[in-house]
Amino acid sequence: MLLRSCTRLPTRYISRQFHDGRWPGWEVVIGIETHAQIKSKQKLFSSTPTSSLKDAPNVNVSVFDAAFPGTLPRLNEECVDLALRTAVALNSDIQPQSSFDRKHYFYPDLPAGYQITQHYEPIAQGGTVSVGGRAIGIKQIQLEQDTAKTTFNPRTRTSSIDLNRAGTALLEIVTEPDMRSPEEAAAYVRALQAILRAIGASDGNMEAGSLRCDVNVSMNRVGEPPGTRCEIKNLNSVKFMQSAIISEIERHKALYSNGAKVPQETRGFNQDTFETFSMRSKEDAPDYRYMPDPNLGILEIPPQRVEHIRNTLPELPWQVRARLTTAYGLAEKEADVLLNLDTEEQYGAVAYFDRVCASGRNPRIAFNWMVHELLGRLNAASVAFSDNPISSEHLAELVSLVENGRLTGASAKILLKHMLSSPHNSRRSPTELAESLSLLSDASSASAELDLDALCTRAMNALPSECAAYRAGHQGVLNKIIGWVMKESKGRADSKKVRELLVEILKDKYP
Amino acid sequence: MRGNVMSHSRNLSSWRQAIQTKNASVNAFVHISPPPHPWPESKLPLDGLAVAVKDMICTADMPTTSSSALLQQFHPPFDATVVRLLREHGADIVGKVNCDEFGMGSLNVHSVHGPVVNPFQAASAASSTVWDERERRSAGGSSGGSAAAVAASMCYAALSTDTGGSTRLPASYCGVVGLKPSYGLLSRWGVISFADSLDCVGVMANSVDATRRVFGVLDVYDEQDPTSAPPETRQKAKEAARQSWSGASLSSLRIGVPQEYFPQELSTEVSGPVQRAMKELQMRGATILPVSLPTTPYALSAYYVLSSAEASSNMARYDGVRYGTQIPSSSEDRFPNTAARYAVTRSVGFGSEVQRRILLGTYALSADAFDNYFLQAQRVRQLIKDDFNRVLRAVDVFSRDVPATTDGVDVLIHPSAMRTAPPLDFEAGSSNSLDAYVQDVLTVPASLAGLPALSVPLRRTADEWPVGISIVGQWGADDTVLRVGELIESMQ
Repeated sequence: MLLRSCTRLPTRYISRQFHDGRWPGWEVVIGIETHAQIKSKQKLFSSTPTSSLKDAPNVNVSVFDAAFPGTLPRLNEECVDLALRTAVALNSDIQPQSSFDRKHYFYPDLPAGYQITQHYEPIAQGGTVSVGGRAIGIKQIQLEQDTAKTTFNPRTRTSSIDLNRAGTALLEIVTEPDMRSPEEAAAYVRALQAILRAIGASDGNMEAGSLRCDVNVSMNRVGEPPGTRCEIKNLNSVKFMQSAIISEIERHKALYSNGAKVPQETRGFNQDTFETFSMRSKEDAPDYRYMPDPNLGILEIPPQRVEHIRNTLPELPWQVRARLTTAYGLAEKEADVLLNLDTEEQYGAVAYFDRVCASGRNPRIAFNWMVHELLGRLNAASVAFSDNPISSEHLAELVSLVENGRLTGASAKILLKHMLSSPHNSRRSPTELAESLSLLSDASSASAELDLDALCTRAMNALPSECAAYRAGHQGVLNKIIGWVMKESKGRADSKKVRELLVEILKDKYP
Repeated sequence: MRGNVMSHSRNLSSWRQAIQTKNASVNAFVHISPPPHPWPESKLPLDGLAVAVKDMICTADMPTTSSSALLQQFHPPFDATVVRLLREHGADIVGKVNCDEFGMGSLNVHSVHGPVVNPFQAASAASSTVWDERERRSAGGSSGGSAAAVAASMCYAALSTDTGGSTRLPASYCGVVGLKPSYGLLSRWGVISFADSLDCVGVMANSVDATRRVFGVLDVYDEQDPTSAPPETRQKAKEAARQSWSGASLSSLRIGVPQEYFPQELSTEVSGPVQRAMKELQMRGATILPVSLPTTPYALSAYYVLSSAEASSNMARYDGVRYGTQIPSSSEDRFPNTAARYAVTRSVGFGSEVQRRILLGTYALSADAFDNYFLQAQRVRQLIKDDFNRVLRAVDVFSRDVPATTDGVDVLIHPSAMRTAPPLDFEAGSSNSLDAYVQDVLTVPASLAGLPALSVPLRRTADEWPVGISIVGQWGADDTVLRVGELIESMQ
């Protein structure tokens, strides 16, 4: 606790000196509340399966989800585990005892007339997310129920309610007011998404609604205390969030510049006009009448459970980035290319890269062949990396051939093209394929087939005048003869050996 | 047993026959199930026994109205766990019985089905007045239908609920046995919530033995109820209770008499028989000790704040959208706002008592009042628990560091109610609801502390209205409480 407050305060102080050329003389303070749908098999308080957007309405509903009289909640431990993982990943303090509360309001998509959340004693408090080298403070993490979904038909003026989502577990992650620009807010949400995906806590997909953001924005002139904050509700894409913040900044600036005040209120975002609009003022703020839930009691988290979570947590995005830069010498941007590639398993592209680099292969060569050559070709053919037909073992073999000088860069490109040309070729060993294509350049295997003597003899026959010129002392002509051999060998021949052989032959035969 | 059950004609049990002849006058049953097909005699513990179920407990084959206009059309798609257990053990669920709306009331007059009329008739009056025209007195509430059905022999036993005395008070008024078990022993899955932290399923019957028989079938852990006590906890509490008093003889039993439970307002009709019973227990060897539970005077206020707060929350779902008959708004506006629509439905649908408690509870939970009302009431609740732990000899399995009180008592004994059954028509005006609340003063402390409490009828002459005595024990000492109740019953 002490450590946190000591380290964060200066950050916040320093950050308040940030200046933004778009609104000179002003400072922006942003805090974000994120609702992330937990990726559990079952809902938070019932054994009903969770739904995807593809499901027909009202198929995953139990009597509890529909708030039938007489039903009672039963806490799903899988949701608790995923909340604990999130807490550990966000460096948050897990509370040994937390509890659930009822938040009351009337709305057709809230079946019980209350939402079970963690108002008084959340499961974790404090924490940080590192964004561009700055630590964004986390205030608290809480578990709660999602509501049902209302779809309004303006033509018939009727609302349809889909209870599939009702009771699905949500994580509410609240930051401190630590962000200073729309871009930083966006970077925070992306970093949070990456973490939630890495630990399997949430899909974090804003477009699909599995991650939703409420943003608090306030503005003040440099050197003045923070202004009145406004909350913008339910932003469902990073782009909209940035636009909403910019719209809000412009609005606050205009109000303050006219000597007016910014009223504290809750606002929505219009996706057509890219502007925010007033939803309700502070005076209309509802009293949610929070009450400790009388059924659920205290959620006790023993230290062993936290320890187990800590030990089984997968590598987090920033940890992977750090490993890629230190162990392989990749630049951060290069590391991010691997981190951001969509794969079925978490960090699939990183694991692929790890395997290509195994056995001491040069990571620079490996990165070049994986990203510039392989990925380049896949992109050109509009093939996703997750559908990449070449196994990491085969790419590793190709890299080894290049590293050992058995395959020239030019030949390796030809080989890769062939490997991608058909499923059959993708499955064949690259060495074998290279041999069949006569692309290998060394003595051990391919040179047996590649008869350098014969090639050189043919060269002399083909270029009699050049040979004569050489013998006459024009040494420079030798390069032309070597070039002929290289061309004939399709680049497989080792030019150094060719030169040695030619010098020998031209000397022997015509003393 | 079965021979007895089927001794009447048309294969109808004596209980079902009593329902046919008496229910119109008592108004206990609000729904009667079709008689079961004759089935082979089984060895099941409740084989063929008629059990009535309070209408707040869900049944898949019968409506479950909670005596509310809002739930008159509610047919639950499932059986409550306690109902399922009864069926599995061979019971004949004869029907659903009347109660106060959502369990809120002490006289069973706040019901969409009308009041329950106490079946008791004084012997001297019976010679001049037919039973149907007997004096109209309350059966007590909120489980008035359960108590009256048992008293009129319309069932072998009845399930009730008890949030602040809803089992013990009607048991006392109707002269039957009523058990409010330790909180968390009987599953609440399928029991419509009034105040979850206090609600218990209760059992009523004409004898302690019958009560125990039904209780024994229902006393099992249920994973569908998050407040169901796990088996280890039950076992630990049973052992603690046996260590306190083995149950073998009265001479080792220490009975506490809490002085706060004998206020000035206690009617002599009640105090007389209760004191006689205590003397008799003492004569038979029990040690009677005066004890003090000093927080008792605050219990009633704390109870009404907490139970109403939870009720206001639990009643939120009855808004006419999913649950509750939607009342169309009379306004000419074709699309009234949703809040107005909820208001119309809830103002018309809920009875006055429920509305009163929703308003009280809503206020207690509002941001301005929460600390002074809800939190304060929770503190009082803890003090009430501490009071009981100070005087009871058996250890409280939920408090980690409370040593057993060696000089404590095994059970507490006190009157179940302040008076005998009050006249119905007098109360009908419901001029003073506070009077009704005061009736709960003796029963709410055990509810707040989650302790087992049993009301047993005391011996009376045939002319006197029934009076009950309550036995309260440590959490999980339900066996002790039943055993002491049986001893009192045997003295009659």
